[in-house]
Amino acid sequence: MIAVLGLVLGIVAGLLLEPTVPAGVQPYLPIAVIAALDALFGGLRAKLDGIFDDKVFVVSFLSNVVLAALIVFLGDQLGVGTQLSTAVVVVLGIRIFSNAAAIRRHLFKA
Amino acid sequence: MSQQEQQDRGSSLSASMSLLTSLLSRPLDPGYEAAARKKALEGPRRRSVPSSIVLVLFAAALGALTVTAAITLRAPQPAVVQARTVLENEVRERSAEVATAEERVAELDAEIQDLQRTALEASDPELLEQLALDELVAGAVELEGPGVRVTLADAANAAESDIDRRVHDSDLRVVVNGLWAAGAEAITVNGHRVTALTAIRSAGQAVLVDLVPLTGPYVVEAIGDPERMPTRFAGTPAGDHLALLRAAFDIPSTVEPVARLVAPAGSAPTLVRAAPAGPLTAVEEES
Repeated sequence: MIAVLGLVLGIVAGLLLEPTVPAGVQPYLPIAVIAALDALFGGLRAKLDGIFDDKVFVVSFLSNVVLAALIVFLGDQLGVGTQLSTAVVVVLGIRIFSNAAAIRRHLFKA
Repeated sequence: MSQQEQQDRGSSLSASMSLLTSLLSRPLDPGYEAAARKKALEGPRRRSVPSSIVLVLFAAALGALTVTAAITLRAPQPAVVQARTVLENEVRERSAEVATAEERVAELDAEIQDLQRTALEASDPELLEQLALDELVAGAVELEGPGVRVTLADAANAAESDIDRRVHDSDLRVVVNGLWAAGAEAITVNGHRVTALTAIRSAGQAVLVDLVPLTGPYVVEAIGDPERMPTRFAGTPAGDHLALLRAAFDIPSTVEPVARLVAPAGSAPTLVRAAPAGPLTAVEEES
C-alpha cells in the first residue's frame, strides 16, 4: 500500500508544483499517460484479485512508461513514429479494457 | 512463465495469434501472480526500510510524471496555434466588416445617383445627360451587352508550391490588355469591373484585382462585338500568350462569345490630390 501512498503524494506534488515539460518530450506524453493508466488498472485489478504487490506495481508502472516512450522514440527515429504509437495505444488499450472488464466483474459480480 | 508455456501448448489457436490471445485472456501483469506465488511459498515477508523508501520515491515520481503529463496535455494549445486562431478570427471579422461597408457604399452610391437625377432633371436636363455620359465612360455605371468570355484556370495538377503552373497577375494583365486592344468596351475580372484606376497585381501567391484577392478559375468578361472580338483577340499578343501558357504550363483557357454579359459599376474613384489642370467645365464645377 505504500506504493499507492507514494503515488498519491506524487500526484499532489505534481498538481501543486505544475512543473513545465520541455518541448522535446511533448510527443511522448500521451503514450506515457496511457501506459500509466494501464499500470493503474492492472494494479487495481490485482488488488481486487487479492494479489497486489507494491514492488510489482511500481516496477510495472515504471517499465510501462519507459518502454512506451522508448518505442515511440525509436519509431520517431525510424520515421514510423505514428504507426508505432498506434501499435502501443492498441495494445495498451486492449489491456486497459480487459482489466477494466475484470474490475467490473469483481465490483458488480456481473 | 511455465504457466504461459502450458497455456500456449494447450492452445489450439495458431501461433500468430498468441500475442492477441495472451493480451485478451491474461491482461494482468504476470508479475503479480509470480509475486503472489512466491509469497505463498515463502510466507509474508516484511520489506526493509530502505527498499520501502525507494518504492515510495519511485511511486511518487511516477505519480508526479503522470499528472504533469496529463496537465500538459490538457493545457490550452501552444501559443503559435492560438495566435493563428486569433488572426484567423480577426481576418474573418474584418472581411465581414468590409462586406457590410461595401454594401453600404453601394446603397449610398445609388442614393446619390437618385438624388442627383431628381435634382438635375428639373433644373438642368442637359447637364444630367452629360453626367450620365461621363459616368458611362468612367465605368461608374452598370453595363450590359454581348461580348466575350475568357476563362483561365491553374493547371489541374499544379501543386501549391508550383508557381509556374498557376495563373499569374501578369497573365491576367496580358489578357485584359488584349481584350482592350480587341475592342472591348467594358471588362470585368471575376465580376470586378476594370476601370481607369483598377490595378491587377499580386500579393504573395494571390492575384489581386482592385485590391480584392481572387481565386481561380479566372473569368475575364469583355463587352463588345461577340463576332469580331475573338478573332481580333487571337491576333493580339494575348492570343499567343494564352497558347504559350497552354503548351508550356498546362494552363487551360477558353475564349467564347456570350450573348449577354453584365458588367457591374466599378468602385468610384476618389481623387485626393489630383485636380483638373485646365479650366473647369460645367460638369466638374457642378460636382
